[in-house]
Amino acid sequence: MASDESLPTLKILMIGPSGAGKSALLIRYCDDQFDNEYSTATIGVDFKLKKLSVHGKPYRLNLLDTAGQERFRTLSNSYYRGAHGVILVYDISNRDSFAAMERWFEEAETNAMPGAVMYLVGSKLDKTAARQVSADEGQRLAEKHGCSFCEVSAKTRENVRKPFVDIVNAIVKDPKLLSAGSRRGGTVAVGGEGEGWGSGCAC
Amino acid sequence: MESLSDTKWDVVISGTGLQHSLLALALSRSDKKILHVDHNEYYGGAEAAFSLQEVDEWHPDSSTGTFQNVTLWKDDADTSSQSNKLSFSRAYTLTLSPQIIYTKSKLLGQLVSSKVYRQLEFQAVGNWWIYNGEGPPLLKRLPNGREDIFRDQGIDNRAKRSLMKFLKFVVDFENQPELWEADSECSLQDFLSSRFQLPPHLQSIITALTLSLDTPGRTIVKWALPRISRHLTSIGVFGPGFGAVIPKWGGGAEIAQVACRAGAVGGGVYVLGTGVTNAVDDRDKERWRIELSNGETVGTKHYIPHSGSANGSNSRMVSKTIAVVSSTLSSLFVNSTEGSPLAAVSVVVFPSGTLHLEEATQDCPVYVMVHSSETGECPAGQCVLYATTLYSATSKPILDAALSSLIKSTECSDARLLYTLYYDQQEDISSPCDLAFDDRILENVEEQWKEAMGSEGADGSSLFMQFEERRGINPDDDNDDDY
Ligand SMILES: Nc1nc2c(ncn2[C@@H]2O[C@H](COP(=O)(O)OP(=O)(O)O)[C@@H](O)[C@H]2O)c(=O)[nH]1
Ligand SMILES: [Mg+2]
Repeated sequence: MASDESLPTLKILMIGPSGAGKSALLIRYCDDQFDNEYSTATIGVDFKLKKLSVHGKPYRLNLLDTAGQERFRTLSNSYYRGAHGVILVYDISNRDSFAAMERWFEEAETNAMPGAVMYLVGSKLDKTAARQVSADEGQRLAEKHGCSFCEVSAKTRENVRKPFVDIVNAIVKDPKLLSAGSRRGGTVAVGGEGEGWGSGCAC
Repeated sequence: MESLSDTKWDVVISGTGLQHSLLALALSRSDKKILHVDHNEYYGGAEAAFSLQEVDEWHPDSSTGTFQNVTLWKDDADTSSQSNKLSFSRAYTLTLSPQIIYTKSKLLGQLVSSKVYRQLEFQAVGNWWIYNGEGPPLLKRLPNGREDIFRDQGIDNRAKRSLMKFLKFVVDFENQPELWEADSECSLQDFLSSRFQLPPHLQSIITALTLSLDTPGRTIVKWALPRISRHLTSIGVFGPGFGAVIPKWGGGAEIAQVACRAGAVGGGVYVLGTGVTNAVDDRDKERWRIELSNGETVGTKHYIPHSGSANGSNSRMVSKTIAVVSSTLSSLFVNSTEGSPLAAVSVVVFPSGTLHLEEATQDCPVYVMVHSSETGECPAGQCVLYATTLYSATSKPILDAALSSLIKSTECSDARLLYTLYYDQQEDISSPCDLAFDDRILENVEEQWKEAMGSEGADGSSLFMQFEERRGINPDDDNDDDY
């Protein structure tokens, strides 16, 4: 059996305005937890690893959260390096968060590698009474940028797996994209995975 | 949303250059509340990297004077082939910090022990070439280790023995002070000729390894020996055939960004396009009052200012030209050592006096770092040249001459300059003008880290840059196709 390390790894980013529900979605999907309080969920979360099989073939998802750098729009170019997919999240109960999406699409399109798959998500689907953005509008924006769309609730779990499964399905359909993210022959291993360097030597 | 002034900050860091970003990384696992600002709209300060459009928008802050005389040139010739013309803006990542990192540098160890190396991709600095101005051949590859020297037909046996004697000495020079201490202020060249009877062309080769920006006369023994030793002992540490690496996507610029992300993951708040306009040390309250250019005022226990120029007399200025070339210059990247990784960088050295110009004499050496498209800095089929020399009134024509001589001597008929960006750069305490990463930066970072950490840093409960892996792994797999 293949070990997890050797599975093909797909790098998928979460982006979108602060408070849109990116971290909640990620944590619900990966850990099946939800914290109603305004959480500091973002802090300390560098990335999440999750194994996902599509059509019987397993993949290792490397899911990256913004680490709060979206708050003042200071995500760096390096965040986008090698990403196969970008999930753009807005809050259906917050008009401003939807209005900000054009700029987030633009940032993703300029920084992600050519061919990277985008996916638009309207979050907090459970807040029906407070809805400010219709599903239609979301759908239209997604179509404009040639990507798929769905609405989810991290709170009720509704549709939580859909964006991840769909985006992985789209990514693996494109062999060129799959191989573009992998490291090339010229990469030098400085880490000596698991041994030596850093662990002991303070010399 | 709460404003910045609502938080009682522990540390405010101004500037996201490499040193300041490494500090943010060092503090990223502390519970300190950290505000990290930069007056630039981009990360990296004097170690930033730019797309072509970002270069167009780059208006270096004349008040700090770090960058001056920025001059841009673009080829406007109309050609049909793709690699023969400039591609779109984002296809380029031109870096202000193409420093090589010797494999012996503590930086690599710290990037590993702090775990951020996983977000970086390191590539090998392969061949070193020396230009002799007379030829042929104009470019000669420097021997890569002992076997290479033995095989070299161009060195006679007597010189070979002298060279081997010197190489054996220099890797252990610290334990043999009697052989060099008396000459420590002498020029390296004189030392090599009087103590080791090395002929002039071997003196040039040894001097090239120091990456000295000075004239040979001012490249002195006590400064040069540790650098030569570092060069030689770094070869083979991470694999055969190379002794230095650079991070893909813009060298120091990429490290700065990855370090800042680590700071953010640790809870640090990042604001760009916002500088510190005034900082007042309120001694009674043991706090700083920091006025920001966005109009807010914040309070903090520790304040790390954007560093200024290095002290007057020692502060040097270098001139640089970044050039995009319409060729891979593949002859510079030939693999010369079995089993070595594909190199992404080659180093070409033009020793003093090897470039012949009508209007100027070349007193100082010129170094050109050749970056292949593997670095991610340019499209396939092209490469980026980073040329550096010590500033002088004629440094621009000297750099131009180095670039055209380099292109000519590679005999790549398709090679043309497509783009050049010239600038002068003033040395700064946190951004030394060195073509190799200077480990003293890490000493500064550790100093600042200790101060901000107070007792936690001193009593050993927190170790500098030694962090556990952040756990991203979770037990349940997602194993089916439908939802
Ligand atoms: N009702 C409801 N609240 C949510 C949902 N997702 C997130 N939230 C809340 O929205 C706030 C911001 O969520 P967070 O995930 O931190 O947003 P981020 O800044 O995009 O990472 C938090 O208080 C969450 O509890 C959801 O699906 N339903
Ligand atoms: Mg978040």
